[in-house]
Amino acid sequence: MNTEATTGEYMLLFRGTQWDKGLSPQELQQVMDKVTAWAEGLQGQGKAKVGQPLGAQGRIVSGKKGGLVADGPFAESKEAIGGYLVLRADDLNEAVEIARSNPILEYDVTIEVRPVLAECPVFQRARSELLSEAVA
Amino acid sequence: MSTTSTTKSDYLLLFRGNMWDRGLSPEQLQKVVSDWFAWFERLKDEGKCAGGHPLEKEGKIVSGKQGRTVADGPFAESKEAVGGYFYLQVADIDEAIEIARQCPGLEYGAVVEVRPVAEICAVKQRAEELSAGQLAEATA
Repeated sequence: MNTEATTGEYMLLFRGTQWDKGLSPQELQQVMDKVTAWAEGLQGQGKAKVGQPLGAQGRIVSGKKGGLVADGPFAESKEAIGGYLVLRADDLNEAVEIARSNPILEYDVTIEVRPVLAECPVFQRARSELLSEAVA
Repeated sequence: MSTTSTTKSDYLLLFRGNMWDRGLSPEQLQKVVSDWFAWFERLKDEGKCAGGHPLEKEGKIVSGKQGRTVADGPFAESKEAVGGYFYLQVADIDEAIEIARQCPGLEYGAVVEVRPVAEICAVKQRAEELSAGQLAEATA
């Protein structure tokens, strides 16, 4: 049984922070105009909830008690996330279709499309394990 | 450009790793889950967290011209994949890092990426600077 509570929201993660290198000022301006028009169109249809670019700076925190704090790299990476957009869509297919219409795909950007959940799968697993212990 | 603003800055915490909870005992799992929930509620009460959500372990990767390549994850069994996020509103990146270091999943191998939310896209800014530069050249 799939009890994962979806929210009807999908997060688009834009990956790649070096796709714009080598574009002429005119090309750059054109693509940014297209992307802005794309985002505004979605906003007008009520499909874009919130979206922002992320700064190239940042840190990676890991290890017990967050003992390791490292710099990116976020600036010149094909994997790094350069921004995000939260969509409202009927289903994953619609969210993927919207992602596919982003003019930025013409360049070397990858868009990750992820359903936003109301509850964490780890929380659900903890709850169902407790429940099965209680029943046993 | 100088700003004298004392308003808070926005940061995104991206929780990385979708398999750190494997192998935990039910008690450990229960503890990390309740610690995580309490942490989230406290940050919200303190006005430092504007929201957060887990992401489903499924999804698609869209790439190529006109988005003609649509592939599945892998998101489920990945140490890199983003499993969820918090949206923070705090004084500066140091405070955001301090909060990230409190993540209960760190004990088990979760990784937290701390990223400032930008007012304006760096690419857009570069495009505007370039065209301003061209304008200056043309009028020089």
